Amino acid sequence: MVKTDFLIIGGGPAGLSAAIETSKRGLKTLIVDEGVELGGQLVKQTHKFFGHEGFYASVRGFEIAKRLISQLNENVTIMNQTTVTGIYEDIITAYDRENDLIVEIEPKYILISVGASERFIPFENNHLPGIYGAGAVQTLMNQFKVLPGKRVLMVGSGNIGLIVSYQLLQAGAQVKAIVEITEKVGGYQVHAAKVKRLGVPILLRHTIVKAIGDEKVEGAVIAQVDEKFNVIPGTERELAVDVICIAVGLVPSIELAQMAGVKIEYIPELGGFVPFRDREMRTNIKNIFVAGDLAGIEEATTAMIEGKIVGVAVARDLTGIDLQEDLEKMQKELVEFRSGPFSDKVRKGLERFFPQSAHSYSKDAQQDLGPTGKLRPIIECFENIPCNPCQTSCPSGAITVPGNINSLPLIDYSKCTGCGICAMKCPGLAIFMVQENHQPGRDLIVLPYEFLPLPEKGQKVIALDREGREVGQAEIVKVVKSSNKTHLVHLSVPAGLAQVVRSFRIPQKSDSIVCRCEEITVEEIERAIDEGYTDYEELRRYLRIGMGPCGGRTCRVITLSILARKTKKSIQEIGCGTFRPPSMPVKFDSIVKGEIDNEK
Amino acid sequence: MRRIAFHPILEIEKPKTIKFFFEGRELEAFEGETIAAALVANGIDVFGQTEHSRPRGFYCAIGKCSSCLMIVDGVSNVRSCITLVKDGMQVERQVGRGEITW
Ligand SMILES: Cc1cc2nc3c(=O)[nH]c(=O)nc-3n(C[C@H](O)[C@H](O)[C@H](O)COP(=O)(O)OP(=O)(O)OC[C@H]3O[C@@H](n4cnc5c(N)ncnc54)[C@H](O)[C@@H]3O)c2cc1C
Ligand code: SF4
Ligand code: SF4
Repeated sequence: MVKTDFLIIGGGPAGLSAAIETSKRGLKTLIVDEGVELGGQLVKQTHKFFGHEGFYASVRGFEIAKRLISQLNENVTIMNQTTVTGIYEDIITAYDRENDLIVEIEPKYILISVGASERFIPFENNHLPGIYGAGAVQTLMNQFKVLPGKRVLMVGSGNIGLIVSYQLLQAGAQVKAIVEITEKVGGYQVHAAKVKRLGVPILLRHTIVKAIGDEKVEGAVIAQVDEKFNVIPGTERELAVDVICIAVGLVPSIELAQMAGVKIEYIPELGGFVPFRDREMRTNIKNIFVAGDLAGIEEATTAMIEGKIVGVAVARDLTGIDLQEDLEKMQKELVEFRSGPFSDKVRKGLERFFPQSAHSYSKDAQQDLGPTGKLRPIIECFENIPCNPCQTSCPSGAITVPGNINSLPLIDYSKCTGCGICAMKCPGLAIFMVQENHQPGRDLIVLPYEFLPLPEKGQKVIALDREGREVGQAEIVKVVKSSNKTHLVHLSVPAGLAQVVRSFRIPQKSDSIVCRCEEITVEEIERAIDEGYTDYEELRRYLRIGMGPCGGRTCRVITLSILARKTKKSIQEIGCGTFRPPSMPVKFDSIVKGEIDNEK
Repeated sequence: MRRIAFHPILEIEKPKTIKFFFEGRELEAFEGETIAAALVANGIDVFGQTEHSRPRGFYCAIGKCSSCLMIVDGVSNVRSCITLVKDGMQVERQVGRGEITW
């Protein structure tokens, strides 16, 4: 039997934030989580988050998880790989998978922050292996670094569908299309813009009809739908894909809350059946709280704020200290974040529990594009979303998100020095720098870039517009590497294209093989060098290049010249590496026979 | 190979490799990964069969959907998506609801 002041079921952003508040106030806090590491959904998110600095805006999700975990102190006990299986009147049971035993827990207070599970949709053959929820694909590729396939169909264009599509491209897969059944992209416009300019089509009023394959997915049939979402006959077409990724929303995981006797209500705006809670996130049972996606499908920032509210409320109840001020501060943060149009639904849903308020935000978008010929940012962020790192990162105070955080950013070009920091920080990758006629007849464009391989100075690439269409040739002028992994690539394009080009593509080299034995391509070598393998021996061990039967006869020189070009060292300096016997494949049998012969 | 060798954002560590068995076949896995991740990395997508003989893969990877149930070291209904793979582990496809063990 484990006794604790405060039991937290689920160590995602909500649970961790609550634990930070109670543990720093001296309460014995126990976090039980069924995952292999703490952090919930955060551990598989590789993109920079929106919001403001106080809640880690512009920090990547998995790094936010680390920062939250680092704030836990010695009052916190963690039980990983342990699933809470039952909440009874006097006791909680949890199954510890590692030790294969049921643990009994007796807490004074409980937070249920178990998150949500993925929705599923009916279509023909939807049981086939290769059909995954978007979160599952994220877990595989970002947590365990395994790609379940090479060609993907994404179903759903909410933020999750858009983000996971982008992450699939980063991991090296192709996204053949994103289908969206309604007439409008569900997620943020800045997320949609990121995948569109890389050439991924977002097909509105389209749905999946059928998965093709016997044992596993080998293709998909998609089709157009009418206003009533019925498939229009004759519009069906086949896509050759090996993964179908379903991103059609999440459902709060209410089982434990319901078992505990928490009142459950059906509120579609919050994701379906949700537990009742008040302003302090307390349910109808005095010592049971809920927070995060379980309390209503929203996002990590609000999950963290809700978690903090719970932590403070529990600390107040158990210590008797007056914490009203801390509590109100967090409640105000929630109002601030939820004031934008994307939270209209959530506010409407929450009205069922208690009255909601919202601040007004500005819809005034930047009108002018600034002084032609000066190197300056163009901000393509036209939707009211809760985000402001552009403002807080600018060292010259040139950008403002006036009033509420959901307002649109405005820029005062007279204050801007053209440093490019905003372009590197913006989580929406929505800021581009331009300079017309930086050279006679050429415009300069600076693009935020998060892919490998990084292009090199002088390289010719194909310039793409906002829809991913080819619009001409461009030349790389400079690559500014950034520690936050959003690098700035400077492109020179024909004059007149400054407001047209928003992306580029490196001409395909994927079939130029360097090492014929191990089938290693130029592109793979370049990527490895960008990753930091700048020594020939290291490269060899990492890629197995030159370790095939030929012993590196064909590839050694080519590899060395790629290394020399990328690292700007001479081949002489890099050296030719070590040769090891045998210089050709020899049968063990022959060696053994030889040994015996020699001993004679 | 389905392991990601390069990533623009994530560090690709090279964890210790271990051996496990899938339907009697020896396969390689990384220490610290789930059974499901190890199988997918080895190109295995079919984790079992439904009672009606349909092939079954997994859907959610967070232990909620129960499509990933497999027989692990003789025990049925193990959620392979949140159970870590261990050296020498015997993993088998499960058909239907599996045998109940005590
Ligand atoms: C692809 C994607 C992109 C996103 N992008 C953003 C973004 O840009 N910005 C943003 O703010 N938000 C984003 N979100 C949303 C955000 O990740 C979630 O809203 C947030 O993680 C919810 O936090 P939570 O703590 O409620 O739940 P979770 O993070 O889901 O954590 C729940 C935890 O509970 C554990 N658990 C579940 N059941 C049990 C049980 N019975 N016993 C023990 N433990 C259990 C789980 O293992 C898990 O660790 C995104 C989500 C996804 C999927
Ligand atoms: S380029 Fe630099 S100075 Fe100009 S707005 Fe961006 S951060 Fe501010
Ligand atoms: S431009 Fe500003 S508000 Fe818009 S996504 Fe970028 S940082 Fe956020």
